[in-house]
This record gives sequence, structure tokens and C-alpha cells, in this order.
Amino acid sequence: MLLEIKELTVEFTSMQDKIKALKNVSISINQGEIVGIVGESGSGKSVTALTILGLLEKNASIPAGSITYKGRNILTLDKKELQALRGKEIGMVFQEPMTALHPTMRIGDQLAEVIHRHRRISYREAYQQAVISLAEVQINDPELVARKYPFELSGGMRQRVVIALAMSAPPDLLIADEPTTALDVTIQHEILKLMQDLAAKRGTSIMLITHDLGVVAEVCQRVVVMYAGEVVETGTTEEVLHRPNHPYTKALIGALPDLAVPGQALSAIPGESPDLRNRPRGCVFASRCADSLPICVEESPVLEQAYNGVHTHQVACWRREAE
Amino acid sequence: MNPLLQVAGIGKEYRKGSQSFHAVSGVDFSIARGETFGLIGESGSGKSTIGKMITGLEHPTSGSLLYDGTPLWTDNKFNRLKPGEMQIVFQDPQSSLDPRMRVQSIIMEPLQALPAAERKAKGTTEKLHALITRVGLKVEHLNRFPHEFSGGQRQRIAIARALITDPAFVVLDEPTSALDVSVQAHVLNLLQELKRERNLTYLFISHNMSVIRYMCDRMAVMQKGRIVETGTVADIFNNPKDAYTQTLLSSLPSLHAKKVDNECSTEQSLEKSASKSS
Repeated sequence: MLLEIKELTVEFTSMQDKIKALKNVSISINQGEIVGIVGESGSGKSVTALTILGLLEKNASIPAGSITYKGRNILTLDKKELQALRGKEIGMVFQEPMTALHPTMRIGDQLAEVIHRHRRISYREAYQQAVISLAEVQINDPELVARKYPFELSGGMRQRVVIALAMSAPPDLLIADEPTTALDVTIQHEILKLMQDLAAKRGTSIMLITHDLGVVAEVCQRVVVMYAGEVVETGTTEEVLHRPNHPYTKALIGALPDLAVPGQALSAIPGESPDLRNRPRGCVFASRCADSLPICVEESPVLEQAYNGVHTHQVACWRREAE
Repeated sequence: MNPLLQVAGIGKEYRKGSQSFHAVSGVDFSIARGETFGLIGESGSGKSTIGKMITGLEHPTSGSLLYDGTPLWTDNKFNRLKPGEMQIVFQDPQSSLDPRMRVQSIIMEPLQALPAAERKAKGTTEKLHALITRVGLKVEHLNRFPHEFSGGQRQRIAIARALITDPAFVVLDEPTSALDVSVQAHVLNLLQELKRERNLTYLFISHNMSVIRYMCDRMAVMQKGRIVETGTVADIFNNPKDAYTQTLLSSLPSLHAKKVDNECSTEQSLEKSASKSS
């Protein structure tokens, strides 16, 4: 196990309010595995990434849980140790490639600086490595691109540079938060393929955060479905997407226009996400769930094995299919 | 039957000194009354520019646009045929609603373009209340400011603003692209219902193939300012002729990207995967 998040709870304090952004979140990632974290806005998927990276704002607190990376609890590391981990051991790619790059520094120099710092080699050698790493993310004419500034590149090219940057250390874990959301579908397809190749070739594990179930289906081996700061369902991509067990997962798939019949209404989820300042006592999805039981509003279900014929995965639902 | 909107050979050229850039060139299509016509393409393909030329926000540099038989542009002047006849809903409800205006003023604002008598007739409190509840908001929301609403609610406000003048034709420019999947489903359903109730004609601009497939009757695929393929949605999805359309369709991440399981695959998805592999 490369990374294990165990029963993690994260709270934010703003004014008088305490917002529980994550509650009892457990996620694990094996070496070389691509795990999708899927959820809508407010589901806690980005907070999970920021917590792993130690990048939470000052108003955040972690009252419970642990994050074990290669046997060490990340949450107990000091600033210096975290800095050594970030970039070198754990790489990150965010949604907007322009904001991740230095606007007035040439691409080659940005990459060389990081490589120079992490690998303890001369700047000249680092620059050569930078050009090689640009070629590795399938940039044609890497020498030319290395001399360019970010604004001279297209969105897809920029995201390739950011991936090259994140992979340059090279890290064992790559956290990618909506890496293709700002890109066109044809470019998205190429970037996803690229990430898949890198995972296969180098054994890098990837935590892919996305709102897009199609993206998950395309590249992830396992998927974690989050809702209102909790993991509601997790298992292999195949099982979760094709035999969803949690009503939220089912509803989310049902709300996609992908498989809907034109002319027939989409099955939209009624109501809104719960107020995270005031979490419901029972299941977080109960108020919007079509199949809720009396117990659902009373007691919060825990993540347990579900059984549906041949396969099993984990579901936090009182109505989960069990043996 | 006469089309409601006829686009004939329109082009848009941006010039700067000796440089020129053709954002749109030689685009033809027509939209029948009551139809939803989809315009799909990637960023920079010119799809939004077309929406802007139809609604009078940008003037075409060549070709003609006929609305109900009448030209929309004479030289660089937009002929406002009947105020409020045509409306537009933009992608980002965050930036398309004035943050300092209350919801009521936002929704009522388009009426100012109308003649006084019509303005009065369409802007009654009764009509306003009926409209706000119709789009799924409450009467008490009228007094609030845009920042007090979620993205989906803000898009509902933008839809109400577009409908207050009783338009016949609405341009929807990526109306759900900034929304979560479950919120998108509500907004798409609302747009379908409103179309039926009010006999609307839509030009639906989107980069999302599945949304276009679900919403539209006919569609055009755009690439680099040109239309590469036009046809019914079923034809284009089942039998794409143009190479670019084929690339677009095969790039679309699908829930069934991996092995399709027989038990739970619907006829539709089988059809889809069959059309993909062909």
C-alpha cells in the first residue's frame, strides 16, 4: 500500500461556523494504481487532495484520522519534511495549467529549476533532463518548446508541461485534480492516455480527482464516490459504474445525458446537498434518496461490503445488497 | 416550410492591421420553427461567434442571416425586428448576472427594450411570480442578490430573464457547462419543458456531445470556423461521415469505455458502442 487514508475528518472554522468538509474518509492507493475520486462540488474531493499535500488553509483542523504514505503518517510531519515530500515524492497537477506555471519564465527553465533542486545535479544537466521530460509527455520539438513562455502554448500543451513538471522528480504518487476539465475532449483524451502510459511505464500511482464519470471509466482501475464529504461507495471501476449499489451513485449515473433517451426527462436528483455546517444525524443522502428507510435519518451507515450476485465492493448504505 | 432562421454563407473576420483571422467562414444552416438545433465544436471553433452574430452582439463580415424571412443585419447595423423576440442564455451564470442587482430587476431588465404597452403587459407581478416559480425558484427569491444562489439557481434566474419577453427563439450558449451533473439534469429538463410549453426554438451551443445528442433534433459540427458536417443527431452519431466528427465521437469518454457488461447494458448503450466501433 503506497497511500492509506484512514477515517479522516477535516473541519473548517469560519466565523462561528464549523464546517465538516470530510467525515470518516478512508481511501487507499496501491503502487502503480490509478484511483478515481469522483463527486460533485462540495463532495470533499479537492479537500482530500489538499490534506494529503499539507496545503490546507490555516482555518482547517484535522480532529481525527491518519494519512500513511510509505509507512509514515503525513499528518505528523513538520513543514520541512512536508516540503521534501511535495513535488519530489508526491507530484500534483491542477485544473488550470496557466496558474500552475510561472508566467514570465521560459518552460525549460521552470522544469530545470525543479529537477536541479530535487535531483542534485548541475543546472546544465537539469536543463537537458527538462528537454527529455518534455519529449516524454509527447511534445514534438521539445527544444523549441523549452525556450517558450507559457502564454505561447495552447491549453493542452500547457497541461502537458505541468504533467512533465509534476513527473520530473519523478514522484511515486501523482495527485491530479480535474486535470482535463479545462481542455477540449480530443485533447482530454490525449492527456488521459499520457497519464495512463506514465503510470504503466514508471509504476507511478495516480489519484485522479474528477467530476466526470466518463473519465473514470476510461482510465481508473478503482473508484471512490464521494458525497458531502463522505465516501459512499468504492470498488473497481467496472463494479461501481456497472453495478452501482449506493442510491447516490445510481442517481449520478442516471442524471447523465449519455445514456438518456432524447425526449424523455433525465432522472434528476431532487433537493440539494446537505448544509455541511449542520450535518444530518443519519445518512447524508437520506433527504434526497428515493428509497430511504426510517433508520436512514437516525443513524449514519458505515462503509461495508456489498454483495450483488458475483462481485463485491464497499457501500455506505442501509439498503446495501448483502449476502 | 420556411425556416425560422436561415444562415447563409456567413463569415466573421477579425482584422488587426495587416493581419486577419477568420473566426467563422462560409457557414450555412437553417433552423425550423420548434426545432432544437445543436452547434458543437471545440474551443475556438467559432460556435459562440455564430450565436453572437444571431443575437446582434457581433456583426458578420460576409453572408446573410434571415430571421423569419427578414435580414437581421444591414451592413453593420442590427435590425431589431421585434424587441424581445430573440434571447440568449450564457454559460457562466456567475458573470452574466449583475452582482449589484436584485433578482427581480435582473429578470425584468430585458423588458426595458419593449414598447411601453407591451412592457406593462408582460411585466405584471402576476407574470413575474408565475415565471419565477416556473423556473423552480420561489417568489421570496426575487428580493435577493445573485451571490446568494448556487450555480444551478443562478442559471434558472438567467433562464427566467431570457423568457420574460416571451421570445420565440433562444440561443443557449453552453447553458450547463459550468454546472454539476445532477444540477445539469434539472436545467436540461427545465429547458425541454419550457420549449414544449412555449413553442420555443433553440440554438443549442455546446462542446458536450452527450448533451447535444440528448437535447437536439439536428446539429452541425464545427471545426476552425467551418461546418464540417450537418445532419440529424441520430445520423451524425450513428454514422459520422467526416473524419473530425469521428475523432470527436471517439474522444468522448463514455461510461462504457471499458468492457461493456451484458447484464446491465441497455439497448442504447449497445447501439452506441456498436456505432463507435464501426
